[in-house]
Amino acid sequence: MTAPPATDVIDKRARSLVPWLLVAGPTLALLVFFVLPNAILLSAGFLKSEGQTLTGQLTFENYAFFFGRPTYVAALLRTFFIALSVGVLVVVLGFPLAYFLTRTRSRWKGLLIALSLSPLLASVVVRTYGWFIIFNRFGALNDFLLYTGFIKERLAFMPSTGAIIVGLTHSLLPYGVLTIMAAVQSLNPQLELAAMSLGASRTRTFLRVTLPLCLPGIAGGFILAFSISLSAYATPAILGGPSTQTIATLLYTFMIAILDWSVGSMLGTILIVTSGLMVYLATKLGAKRSAL
Amino acid sequence: MGNERVADIALRLSKLGKKFGSVVAVDGIDLDIAEGEFVTLLGPSGCGKSTTLGLIAGFFPPDSGAIYLKGASVESLPSFKRDIGVVFQDYALFPHMTVADNVAFGLQMRKLPRDEIAARVDEALQLVHMQGLGGRKPLALSGGQRQRVALARALVIRPKVLLLDEPLSNLDLKLREDMRIEIVNLQRRLGITTIFVTHDQGEALVMSDRIAVMNAGRIEQVGTPGEIYEHPRTRFVAQFIGSMNFFSGRIVANGGPSHVTTDKGLALAVPVPQSLAVGTPVYVAIRPERATLSARAPGVDDHITIKGSVRQVIYLGARHEFLLDLESGDQACVWVSNEKGSARYAVGEVVYMSAPVDSCLVLPASRGHASSPRSDA
Amino acid sequence: MINGVRRGSNAAPWFALKVVNTVIFIFILGPILITAAASFNEANQSKFPPRGFSLKWWADAFSDDWVDPVLFSFRLAICAALVSTIVALPLTFGLTRYRFKGRDALITLALGPLMLPALVISIGLLQFFYLIGLGDYVGFWALLAGHFVICLPFSVRTIAISLYGLPANVEKAAASLGASPVTVLFKVVFPLIKNGILAGAVFSFIHSFSDVNVSLFISRPGQMPVSVKILGFLEFGFAPTLAAVAILTMIIPLVLIIAIERFGGLGDFIYGERARG
Repeated sequence: MTAPPATDVIDKRARSLVPWLLVAGPTLALLVFFVLPNAILLSAGFLKSEGQTLTGQLTFENYAFFFGRPTYVAALLRTFFIALSVGVLVVVLGFPLAYFLTRTRSRWKGLLIALSLSPLLASVVVRTYGWFIIFNRFGALNDFLLYTGFIKERLAFMPSTGAIIVGLTHSLLPYGVLTIMAAVQSLNPQLELAAMSLGASRTRTFLRVTLPLCLPGIAGGFILAFSISLSAYATPAILGGPSTQTIATLLYTFMIAILDWSVGSMLGTILIVTSGLMVYLATKLGAKRSAL
Repeated sequence: MGNERVADIALRLSKLGKKFGSVVAVDGIDLDIAEGEFVTLLGPSGCGKSTTLGLIAGFFPPDSGAIYLKGASVESLPSFKRDIGVVFQDYALFPHMTVADNVAFGLQMRKLPRDEIAARVDEALQLVHMQGLGGRKPLALSGGQRQRVALARALVIRPKVLLLDEPLSNLDLKLREDMRIEIVNLQRRLGITTIFVTHDQGEALVMSDRIAVMNAGRIEQVGTPGEIYEHPRTRFVAQFIGSMNFFSGRIVANGGPSHVTTDKGLALAVPVPQSLAVGTPVYVAIRPERATLSARAPGVDDHITIKGSVRQVIYLGARHEFLLDLESGDQACVWVSNEKGSARYAVGEVVYMSAPVDSCLVLPASRGHASSPRSDA
Repeated sequence: MINGVRRGSNAAPWFALKVVNTVIFIFILGPILITAAASFNEANQSKFPPRGFSLKWWADAFSDDWVDPVLFSFRLAICAALVSTIVALPLTFGLTRYRFKGRDALITLALGPLMLPALVISIGLLQFFYLIGLGDYVGFWALLAGHFVICLPFSVRTIAISLYGLPANVEKAAASLGASPVTVLFKVVFPLIKNGILAGAVFSFIHSFSDVNVSLFISRPGQMPVSVKILGFLEFGFAPTLAAVAILTMIIPLVLIIAIERFGGLGDFIYGERARG
């Protein structure tokens, strides 16, 4: 009585129709507002356009145009470099934090977790603004370095790729922490105790038991930070400049300034393809699947 | 059995069958339960007892067969239209409602007036010794308390039949034993027809008016606890209840003098049911507490005697269990009560195991061959 | 036994961990505190530490110029949360309780917006609206569509977690006591999943309120979320008013979360683990 398989949970008579009735509306909404726009986007990259109007002509000239310009290709490479660096930094900083937050038994555990996740409440703009204040020519960092005598003149910390990397790492750290925390939480502390009882020192236990078991969560955190960085707009826009374009800022330029929507769509396609690859990678590595 | 009038039959299951995918969970069950009876469905996991209960409750429809509740056919009715009460293994109390609201739920569904509901809820809580705890939430209760609330909730609606699905499995031993008796007493007092599902034969023996032993979707035997224990009709039933010595062999003669020869060559002069032909593969079954040990061969009539030696002695407080290596090569077990002056045997000692011929059962080895009931069954 | 691990040989590494984490915490919270502090600058400069102290920028932050976009974002987020919840309910019920052809594909579709870059959804919707001649509706309606799409997965996830967390037999128990399927739904299932529904709505609200990428291309003057407006102004320079507005936009979701924590708590839904029954 407690264990019939799922197929018999619902009375057979109603089985055929009910699920369709339930999901029909939502599916339609998703198809119209999610699938269709993306389909248009994917195809628009292959269509010639005069500004905002798409013609019906099939062409690869958008791709040829883009990949023919070294500056644009450099932007592409820069975007990947940034995403890679951010991914690495997020897990390097996120892992000690996640490990601590999961294992601490301090009274303030809840508060600490909330604090470390609090940046998520702020929009990217808010998070990045603080770095703007720190990094700009007349900003806090320059003031501090001048004051302490480390430098004689103000340095241009931004716009630069470095500033973008710092800003994005800061923005995405909470996501990394969340992902890694989930992994550490599912780690049985008894395993570490078992290793130590068998003679492994703290360091060796960590290297041979803890770390390997947390690896899927760490990989998940890396991939998450990497994917979001690839298509991040606000941070590169604020902390970067014309010489540090990324795919996202180029996209903005083409859509709003140059008004060439098919090149914009083409760039969008590149983003879709790369994020699709990331998802595939993530599932291959066994990253935690959704609740469904 | 068979002398009840149709009207007294509270529940009739007729050729009930249910498959899940390609797995046959219930394979043609026939059972009549009288008004006020306490019947247990007993069997190992996967035998179909829970599925049968689910069919009676209406949680899923049967593939074949019929269910009659007080004469009315209900197998095509959904659960909420049958007048039943169910107690689940995990109690299934509504976590967002108080104890009182939980118990009142069924009465609210039946649209009874408020004050009557309140009165009956109080009554039910008193019955299960939970009075005064109506305002608590299930989370704040212990396992035993939750179980009692579940019971009250099912009883307060005065259902035509009460269904209990292994309700005691999640309790620890002492509590389980106490609750067994409480449930039986409640049932006797209220007179509600009850079907109890369990894999614990001790529970079945203690609580039931009748036991239906199930195996692989079928009922192998139905009878009172005494009948099931003393006169099991199949090997499965014999080994499921209590402990049993089995000697595998064949019927050599089933006439006036009858006997069975075991695979190992032992000749046992035991009574053989007429329905079994010569040559049928059978088991001779002897309860370990019915056999006795002696240092010398007892020359007693109407007993079978087998020589052997003691392999292991197990002390269980109230009794000793002697594991024997018999002369024939078989192994056996004999229980000897720890009374003053009862003999002790050491490992390696040569002993004689004997049992009254009347206590030896002959059971068919293959399914489909139940031995016929004795005339006094 | 676990307690004993903290002392002795583990004390030093744990302390080192605490030190490292303090630095990381400063890294995390620093910029936000700096933004807050900069909003109190006397002069029209975003300086840290602030020079002088003035609340005039905060006064400015409450002017219509900024309050309107904040209210717009607020309205948009509420609508997005509502639509997302209403659509997610039947969808999640269908996905969690039934097996049907295309179920797996539908799950991927429902959670898809989480995987795709929000930027892409924005330009996709922009072109879509113009293509079907609804270019005039780029603004609130396009925004609602876009936000609905990115918020839906949150509602679906939390409602699914709640549904899976329902105690095993309560629905059967209710049925056995005489409750029709509709009654079971309203008297047993909904009360028990209301936490999941609420959590999904809250996550949706926050996601919509703080969104930039989806809103980027489908806003128009007057129908623009405050985050996009701040971004636009930032390109022209910095001002303490922006800092004040930025902090303001962070306080609203914070208040919401604190309020909800009081009523039901969201902890169970953050890690994607099962809620307690």
